[in-house]
Amino acid sequence: MSIVYRFEIYPNTDNLNASATQEESLKTWFHKYLNRSIKNIWEVRYFLVETEKPIANIRDYAQEVFTDSVVEVMLSSEDENLEQVLGWLQKKNFQSPSLIDISYRPGVTDNSAHAALEALKLIPVLRKVEMKVASGTMYFIETDLPLNSIQLEGLAYEKLANNLLHKVLITIPSELANFARMKTIVFPSVSIVASKAKLVNLEVSNPELEKMNQDNCWALSSDEMIHIKNYYQSLKRSPTDVEMEVIAQSWSEHCKHKIFSSEITYSESNLPKGVKPIGEFTVKGIFKNFIRGATLKIQEERKIPWLISIFHDNAGIVRFDDTVDVCIKVETHNSPSALDPYGGALTGILGVNRDILGVGQGAKPIANTNVFCLAENHYFEDNKISIPLLLKNPDRIKEGVHLGVQDGGNKSGIPTVNGAFVFDRDFVGKPLVFCGTIGVMPQAERGLATSEKRQRPGDLIVMAGGRIGKDGIHGATFSSMELVDGVPSSVVQIGDPITQKRLGDFLVEARRLGLFNSVTDNGAGGLSSSVGEMAQLTNGANVELEKALVKYPGLSPFELMVSESQERMTFSVPKDTIAAFLELSIKRSVEASVIGEFNNSGFLNINYEGVEVANIDLHFLHESLMPMKLTGHFDVSKKSPHWIKQKIAKPSLPKLDGKINYTQILLDLFKTPNIRSHEHLIRRYDHEVKASTIVKPFTGTPEVGFSAPSDAGVIWMKPHGGGADNALAIASGICPKVSKYDTYLMAEYAVDEAVRNAVCVGANPDEMVLVDNYCWPDPITSDRNPDAELKLAQLVRASKALYDISIAYGMPFVSGKDSMKNDFIGMNEHQEKIKISVPPTLLVTAMGRVPSLSIVTTSEIKNTGDLVYLIGENLLEFTSAFELSELYEDYEVQYPLPALDTKKQIECYRQIYKAMKNNLIESSHDISDGGLILALAEKMMGTTMGIRISLDMDEKSLTNFLFNESAGRILVTVKPANEKAFEEILKRFTSMLLGETTNNGSLFVKSNKLEILKVSGQDCMKSYKCQVGEI
Amino acid sequence: MKRSDIKVLVITGDGINCEEETALAFREHGVVARIIHIYDLIHTPSLLEEAHIFAMPGGFSFGDEIGSGQILALKLKYSLGSELKKFIDSGKLIIGICNGFQALVRLGLLPKPFTTREMTLTHNRQGHFINRWVDLSVPNSKCVWTKKIVNQTIALPIRHGEGKIVFAGDLKTQAITYEILINNQQIALTYVDDVNGSYQRIAGVCDPSGRIFGLMPHPEAAISEWLNPSGAKKSDAVGIGASFFESGIEYCENNF
Repeated sequence: MSIVYRFEIYPNTDNLNASATQEESLKTWFHKYLNRSIKNIWEVRYFLVETEKPIANIRDYAQEVFTDSVVEVMLSSEDENLEQVLGWLQKKNFQSPSLIDISYRPGVTDNSAHAALEALKLIPVLRKVEMKVASGTMYFIETDLPLNSIQLEGLAYEKLANNLLHKVLITIPSELANFARMKTIVFPSVSIVASKAKLVNLEVSNPELEKMNQDNCWALSSDEMIHIKNYYQSLKRSPTDVEMEVIAQSWSEHCKHKIFSSEITYSESNLPKGVKPIGEFTVKGIFKNFIRGATLKIQEERKIPWLISIFHDNAGIVRFDDTVDVCIKVETHNSPSALDPYGGALTGILGVNRDILGVGQGAKPIANTNVFCLAENHYFEDNKISIPLLLKNPDRIKEGVHLGVQDGGNKSGIPTVNGAFVFDRDFVGKPLVFCGTIGVMPQAERGLATSEKRQRPGDLIVMAGGRIGKDGIHGATFSSMELVDGVPSSVVQIGDPITQKRLGDFLVEARRLGLFNSVTDNGAGGLSSSVGEMAQLTNGANVELEKALVKYPGLSPFELMVSESQERMTFSVPKDTIAAFLELSIKRSVEASVIGEFNNSGFLNINYEGVEVANIDLHFLHESLMPMKLTGHFDVSKKSPHWIKQKIAKPSLPKLDGKINYTQILLDLFKTPNIRSHEHLIRRYDHEVKASTIVKPFTGTPEVGFSAPSDAGVIWMKPHGGGADNALAIASGICPKVSKYDTYLMAEYAVDEAVRNAVCVGANPDEMVLVDNYCWPDPITSDRNPDAELKLAQLVRASKALYDISIAYGMPFVSGKDSMKNDFIGMNEHQEKIKISVPPTLLVTAMGRVPSLSIVTTSEIKNTGDLVYLIGENLLEFTSAFELSELYEDYEVQYPLPALDTKKQIECYRQIYKAMKNNLIESSHDISDGGLILALAEKMMGTTMGIRISLDMDEKSLTNFLFNESAGRILVTVKPANEKAFEEILKRFTSMLLGETTNNGSLFVKSNKLEILKVSGQDCMKSYKCQVGEI
Repeated sequence: MKRSDIKVLVITGDGINCEEETALAFREHGVVARIIHIYDLIHTPSLLEEAHIFAMPGGFSFGDEIGSGQILALKLKYSLGSELKKFIDSGKLIIGICNGFQALVRLGLLPKPFTTREMTLTHNRQGHFINRWVDLSVPNSKCVWTKKIVNQTIALPIRHGEGKIVFAGDLKTQAITYEILINNQQIALTYVDDVNGSYQRIAGVCDPSGRIFGLMPHPEAAISEWLNPSGAKKSDAVGIGASFFESGIEYCENNF
């Protein structure tokens, strides 16, 4: 009979009433979102320790481990005087508090508990004692209006807990003094029973096949089910459940990218004015033709020597340094983030870190990027739109994903150097969470290229890092489905950054020592995916599943195979180094288990306790699936009606004395979601760890502070073993707001924005690579997806644009990913079925080389008296102020929209780079959301200086000139002494000299000699930072 | 002793993550800095005997679970406690940066080794992690690590969630503890502004000897002006952070 102790950690009497920001912000949250007035709330952490036999003096040990003696005390189930806590409550002004106790559901990753167990084991007498630890958090809470336990439970699930992960227990005030929690302590334990592998009978009717498909979450199409059925008929046997799971995982949209490899027939009609016709054609695979096709063509035409490994590994590898190779990968983690924003984003960032760890022989992550596409609660509240049932409050999603990326990056010691927040109401159905990582690896180690995988038949298969649990089962297939009610809770999970940090450090050390031949990460699909992929190279593998380390017993063979439990890598280890490999893993606190052997049998052979549970022909698994045939037709008028029917009230353009008030518009624009500062969130990411971040997310001067936006992150290669005078620029481009007009233009803008941002900080456009990440609404026709053909056509157009601009810029794609089912289907408050699709979204990440640090340029102006130039078109003939149309009722964007002259544009970037190399450019900043005037203000407001410009334009032209948006435009400042040299280099591309920088801290615009705009940098900064508050 | 003979041990493992740049910051000054995994150090404690400087870098040891630096401190206490005492007693230098500072404090080595703990580092007033550059004053103190920049105002990045210094006891006791540190010249670094709620804006303290130093800001992330957050200041010049390492190394040159 085991014994369970409970230890609660309280502040000591000197600190009982210390101010607690967290508790104050909880009060604010409950008031803001639930209209609940919380009088008093107190957060207290606790630990449960389960042992076989009582441990003498455990209280003393626990106290040393769990408390900070300077400020904390412990209350334990061993204590005589439990009532003292009631006195503390009184001192904190609680009259009759309730208690909300939040613990993890059995089997959910509990990082505090893992660390606590390790800490207890450091005490010499406990070293050999069998113990289990669980952690939890309790909240003493008192509301203005008393709440019953059901209401309190509801409150807890709104903010403090997630019912997929946590259990909430309420103690009402009258029972608090009973201390039941200290007397009957239940330790959360998993009790499940493994089922044996079984045969699946596919010899049934088609409707029954479909039911089987749905019941098992296989997410296969009916054609695929029949393909499997026919295949096993030819083998004259039935598949096992393990085989079905492995096949379903391998063929999931998430892993197989079936839409990107399908044969699509495209046509178009009713093109609005200026929308580029791309003709009618059939493309046999978007990825093959438009993405990889572009890269191969560029590689051949430009004879690029620096593309080391592209498309076939976990990340693209390029040679942008003389000693190290650099790799990049960007992933999405949308569906998991919709269900559990914190865990989803955390596992998203840790997952893409593992992609880098698992590229070639393993690279070391050196920088993260993240882009969130989200909705905002106040939009729905202000416009009285009910958020559909089952969907989370979008602000809670924002808080969760932000914290997830923060913990994931910070705890792994990887700086978050670049990113964006993008807001649109249609991201309320599914948030988009993009996580990217850049890594470095030596070009060679012991004479062998680090970029190559070298698993051989006879190598042992070793799983290392985390253990397998039920978590994440069907993650790969789930993310290929729409978000609907009733998903199994095993699809969400929490990451464990510390286990992964140890695994990553171990991996790099083992690589240096030459202890393995190959490695890959366990991402979506778990062992099935990692072993399955690695076995392709050797052409076979034999797995003994019972040897894999598990979190708890009772897992069935298929679960062991497809579980997506995090922090795991699969290694291919030669037999002669296995002893050294395992020895090092012990020294580095990394758990590893040998689970099989690679061979060249042509089969993935899986056994459990000596019984064969799967034997799959690798050719059937990876090569037999025929591409889908799909049709796309582009006609924007065929779009299904929007789920929000009501008209959204907006103000009119602000006027002053009958004229447009440009100053007011500028300040209004600064406060809009897609422009305003998110510094308070971004500064919670460590963006400088590793001491190599040269250009940081914010810039400015010491006098004003560093709060003006930078265009891109720049990472110094020296601290990473690279050149002392070499750096990398990381930039992103994303503009889903353009999709509703034309996805070709959207994609063109996104690529150009990424490239432009990188060019602005000093990257060489001829040493730059791109990464594409598509997040699309479902483009497959079904009765609940009537406008699928349009969405597919939009996909084709975006991809064609990627091809065209990539070729024109001579910039190859080196990696990419697509997520194709970003829809929510549910009910609104009237029980009507609704569907929310994300706007077609493409994130483009650019990584460019800055071959000398002296080229690095930042966005803020540097001196007074410098000349301010606009590079790019003046856009007077267009009506393309997208942000104005979001903001005001009487402004509408109109076709034609400004398209790029891509051939000319890349020439322009080359010339800017040349000017930067010649030290002719003092500052540069890209013009994006909000247009030219926004960018001018941003350049000024991080300094005590100002900008004065003079124009000669009428009102219509002015609006176009100041606020129109497009691509390809940059503002730079140049010292007067360099005027000639600068103009010489950029005369073909510079549309105008706007004015000059001043010392008066204001932006001042004259047109026809009349002042039309005057605003101080301080006022701009104040509006820009309207939501920032104290950092 | 000669600079090239000075040996620095930079500890790593279990979630420490600033070991590379910390070692680099030392190496830039011509000393031998070795990054050593905590497991290897525990199993080869003689390495400590040979070293002159023990550096505990920043990071998230054990994921900051239970309390930042807490578990790392326990690990060091139970597996290297006596070796560390010997190291300190022999007059050698220790620097703890950020998480390393937190661990030194939890280990009881700061502000005064081998006495009852009276100081801790806890959650920032704001309740969350912060990464920003802050202005710092360098008071005249016993600290051997700040000798080259005494009385200057400098800027360094902070990157922490638990950097608020709190003393034990009631307000009066706290004031007395602070007074003692002031009188002993143990306050080695203070924030110009109140950035995290730290007692009297303390950013770094040393032990009474001045040889053990802990600070929350990151000097190793400011060893080059390329890392300066101001675009106008980026250059090939050496950054102010280098002065801390130079000071410590100079002490070794002159005293060992």
